[in-house]
Amino acid sequence: MVARAARRHGERMTAITFDAELLRRYDAPGPRYTSYPTAPAFSADFGVSQLRKHALRSNEEPIPRPLSVYAHVPYCFSPCFYCGCNRIITRDPSRAAPYLLRLAREIELIAPCFDRDREVLQVHLGGGTPNFLTPAQIQELMDSLRGGFRLSTRADRDFSLELDPRFLKLGDIACYAASGFTRASFGVQDFDPAVQRAVNREQSVEETLDAIQACRDNGFRSVNLDLIYGLPRQNATGFARTLDIVIAARPDRIAIYGYAHMPHIFKAQTQIEAADLPSPERKLALLQLAIERLTEAGYLHIGMDHFSLPDDDLAQAQECGSLQRNFMGYTTHAQSDLIGLGVSAISQIGDSFSQNPRELPVWEAAIDRGQLPVWRGLSLDADDRVRADVIQQLMCNGMVDFAAIERRHDIEFNEYFRGALLRLQPLIEDGLAERTVTGIAATARGRLLLRIIAMCFDKYLDGNAAAARPRYSRVI
Amino acid sequence: MRNVPISDDGDALKFCSTCAFSSACLEQGYDKSRLAELHVLVEHVGPFAEGTHIFREGDRFDAIAAVRAGTVKTYVTDSEGREQVQGFFLPGEVIGLNAISRDRYPCNAVALDSVMLCKFSFPGIAALATRMPGVQQQLFKLLSQDIGKAALLAGNYTADERMAAFLVSLSRRYAARGFSPTRFRLTMTRTDIANYLRLASESVSRGFRRLQDTGLVSVERRDLELTDLPKLEALASNILRG
Repeated sequence: MVARAARRHGERMTAITFDAELLRRYDAPGPRYTSYPTAPAFSADFGVSQLRKHALRSNEEPIPRPLSVYAHVPYCFSPCFYCGCNRIITRDPSRAAPYLLRLAREIELIAPCFDRDREVLQVHLGGGTPNFLTPAQIQELMDSLRGGFRLSTRADRDFSLELDPRFLKLGDIACYAASGFTRASFGVQDFDPAVQRAVNREQSVEETLDAIQACRDNGFRSVNLDLIYGLPRQNATGFARTLDIVIAARPDRIAIYGYAHMPHIFKAQTQIEAADLPSPERKLALLQLAIERLTEAGYLHIGMDHFSLPDDDLAQAQECGSLQRNFMGYTTHAQSDLIGLGVSAISQIGDSFSQNPRELPVWEAAIDRGQLPVWRGLSLDADDRVRADVIQQLMCNGMVDFAAIERRHDIEFNEYFRGALLRLQPLIEDGLAERTVTGIAATARGRLLLRIIAMCFDKYLDGNAAAARPRYSRVI
Repeated sequence: MRNVPISDDGDALKFCSTCAFSSACLEQGYDKSRLAELHVLVEHVGPFAEGTHIFREGDRFDAIAAVRAGTVKTYVTDSEGREQVQGFFLPGEVIGLNAISRDRYPCNAVALDSVMLCKFSFPGIAALATRMPGVQQQLFKLLSQDIGKAALLAGNYTADERMAAFLVSLSRRYAARGFSPTRFRLTMTRTDIANYLRLASESVSRGFRRLQDTGLVSVERRDLELTDLPKLEALASNILRG
């Protein structure tokens, strides 16, 4: 019921209007809530012993959750100027082998913490560029994982990898399929040549479409394309052409990320001329264009920046209320414990988050000492869990059902969230959210600003908003 | 967190609602001065943090204790060093009864979560029992319940029967103390449940999954809802016999 109501909002997405003044007011930095609490709240007090304790405890639930594994491959052959990911640019493919050896060591260190009857339902290779590794090296990584964990062989398993079509040989796709992969995700961003030059990522339509076709020919269940709006030199005409090409390719999922210009944090972005960036109004117009085109073409707006075809697992999960969000974005498998491997990777185990070191030498040194490379983390307390639940409901279903939260956490919603509801009031007055006796729901225009609504419930922004904010990108 | 069983605090004239002896005394209509006699034997101890031992095998036995809050697990270690779980004690239940015939505790008792206890000096309560028949009857009742509990899972039963009996037993015991019979949190680990039921850990999880798939229970991490108690009762009937 809840999800279906949310879905109706999704279907009305085409009718959104925003006035410029409202936009300026809400275009402030905010977290993307792939976790709550968010990474800036993690602390170095959380170490290996806490991680082990949470892992042990996670084995002891009546039905221990299945596992998800994320492995980070930090290397890229060439720098895309917009990128805010943790990555290392190199033309030297020999750097992959020692990294893989250490990943295998990390698997040997972490795998024994988990009972062997816990199936791995989801594997994701992200980056960086996972296809910086050769297909044989990717097979090696999967073999290491199979040595430590029970990888699912179910047809509906989610084994995915991010691929850069510019460095892909079409024959490689068959190797990935043989290694067990069922999904691929391709970065596109924009096919407009002027934009591609401005961001240093020249990628042809043809090589992209060929890669998608190769995935389908090799039995991949699903293909995802990533687009970015708000890039330098981007305009409505060029982006509309990109959307036409993307829609014609009919990927199962499409993510449309807003470009976050934070050159003080991400060095590569200093290569982007601020003067080339579209204004917030034009940026929003690009997003609206994308939403209109995609919904007309039959895609459902899952939430925030994600769209999917109605028969995709994400849409199905949202329909029955089981959609979740974690560090990999929207997923149908967040009811699992997530093990992050590799430099900068984040794990979510039991009621804890933990992150590996962001600097490669620090991660390497820990592995070489035979230690789990935990840099920082956090154990969730009861308050964190209530707020995480509320924010999860907002981000996944666009609404919060008071009774469900009260039942799960033994609280009185209106009482417990007095402060949050006060902060929400101006958003309600601006037509971003509605409040009834039974819950809160984002309006159609509010669904673009779920982060803003969720921020009302974020305790860590409360006292020290000024300190926290510069670390987050703008919400539109 | 829901339905976390914790009893209210007693005072000089009123026992905690979970007190193992309060009903015995109140039903017998003792006056307040005699209740006070019982009260001086009582010592509130705790909280014991998760994983803390309350007593160990071989410790000198001087007191029995009623659980006021939390769950206590008792176990012994066999000659090969393997742990054997003997039982779980919920609020209102009494630990240490199996030590009465000796002068040392025959098992270990460990807190599974934050545990509060009401300790009764055993020599004291034994002396009082000679003067207060209600207290004596209550002692006998507790002892026979403790013996019955140990025999519960000794027979040749299927995994599903054992699981159902375990859940129905928890349900009845929570209900007896005024807590929800259908919604509670499992404070014991699956390893402990498996050990107690003489099953493998994986079998316990498979059992929970089967019970969930057939609509008898709903499991949300450690929170449990018994969604079809009558069917669970039927499944458990061979073991529990009413």
